Amino acid sequence: MKETLQKFFKIDRRWIFLLLAVTLFVPIVKPIGLPNKSISQATTRVYENIEKLPAGSFLLLSLDYDPSTRPELHPMAMALVRHAFSRNLRVGVVTYIAGSTGLIEELFAKVGKEYNKKDGTDYVILPYQPNILAVMTQMSSDMYGIYSKDRNGTPIAGMPVLKGVKSYKDMSLVVCVTGTAILDYWVAYVGDKYSVPVAGGVTAISQPGYGPYLQTNQLKGLIGGMKGAAEYESLIKQPGKGTSGIDALNLAHLLVLVLILTSNIILLFVKYF
Amino acid sequence: MKLIKKQIPLAIVFITGVLTLISYYVPHKVSVDYIETMNKWENIVVAFAFLLGLISLFFSHYHKITRKADGWGYSIFVFIGFLAMVVPSYTSHGKQMVDGMLTPLGWSYKYIYTALSGTMFAVLAFYIVSTAYRSFRIKSAQAFVLFVAAFILILGKVPLGQIIWDYALGWTGQGVSAVIEWIMQVPAVAGKRGIMIGISIGAIVTSLKIIFGIEKQYMGKD
Repeated sequence: MKETLQKFFKIDRRWIFLLLAVTLFVPIVKPIGLPNKSISQATTRVYENIEKLPAGSFLLLSLDYDPSTRPELHPMAMALVRHAFSRNLRVGVVTYIAGSTGLIEELFAKVGKEYNKKDGTDYVILPYQPNILAVMTQMSSDMYGIYSKDRNGTPIAGMPVLKGVKSYKDMSLVVCVTGTAILDYWVAYVGDKYSVPVAGGVTAISQPGYGPYLQTNQLKGLIGGMKGAAEYESLIKQPGKGTSGIDALNLAHLLVLVLILTSNIILLFVKYF
Repeated sequence: MKLIKKQIPLAIVFITGVLTLISYYVPHKVSVDYIETMNKWENIVVAFAFLLGLISLFFSHYHKITRKADGWGYSIFVFIGFLAMVVPSYTSHGKQMVDGMLTPLGWSYKYIYTALSGTMFAVLAFYIVSTAYRSFRIKSAQAFVLFVAAFILILGKVPLGQIIWDYALGWTGQGVSAVIEWIMQVPAVAGKRGIMIGISIGAIVTSLKIIFGIEKQYMGKD
């Protein structure tokens, strides 16, 4: 009996890979459509901070994620832009991750069209910059000192979207969506130093690390992982990839739990019986 | 020689370090102008660092190929990948979309970079699930606490888990969201805060050691 059970520990891992592949494949092909039962307070705070901005306010988005974290972060970025456009906010986009430029382009081509928003008038996408701290510091005094053109080489001075916007004090809110530690930089070097409200959107794995910032209100809100994206989509009443992706996440999470429980029950059996 | 190799670099680090530190706390025009100049210099240096990194990467993989070192075949893909992105980038003048249509760069980004990057990251999920089964053994009290916290968090992070919790533990009167909120707000924040304070103190001490010339490893061995 013990020998049989011990064989389960040495199971070829490719069987587990196959099990996961099937578990993920089924809900992607045929979504179950389970309702989101709760909306976290941190996500609601991001929503409320954008909701209370008057039309025409300038929202700065720092979209710092590449295709590796796209499933979690792209839906939340999309929901944020949809929310901003529906509230007629002006949107500026910066990025410090070279790999994110194509995703930003794709996002604004799609959502801009949905809301009939024009590049340069309603939103501006600034080019990738490699040196985060230098850019963040420079933008506190004069953003034109570091960004003179948009990502297509069009001069940004005089663009309607940037009318009256020179530094952080002219911006109503900064939201950073990232799978890296760039949100920490926004909090420490911009939010705290220049009293700019900063909110964020991060992957589920890094979400617990931002608890201290949320407690002290250094972060005005936080969207965490695909669940957070689904929550935000519920808040703006526009279900998207976050809501549909949560089904696959449901089953994958439960599979992890079942596997951990199974292996530990077998361990108990082998040890005590 | 010692003057050029040691004393002048140390003096530059000391002066720049002290001025930058002071500028952070002094909101005067002079300090703002100083920071703006430093930012521009920094960006120029970063551009050269990129170039240096690229040349170093190329040489390293070129030597691997010429020496037929272990896994030299993979090194060829460094060059293929580089060309697959840089050539379209030049022909598209760095633009990924023109009038809503993908340029060659946009195509390479979407169908090469995105696909490869997504695949690499997705592979992690398979290893995590496999490792969870093969390695997560509850053999101590600490491992049990970790398991209970992980169990609640994993369960509560998805709607199906919330339904299972309500069905099995609804009689306790505590929703899984409330329990997760407590874990995140109390023990997780306490731990994270300790780590953050430790890292910050370490960073301050290291920075001061560099500014005052106590830590000199960045200058090399000569």
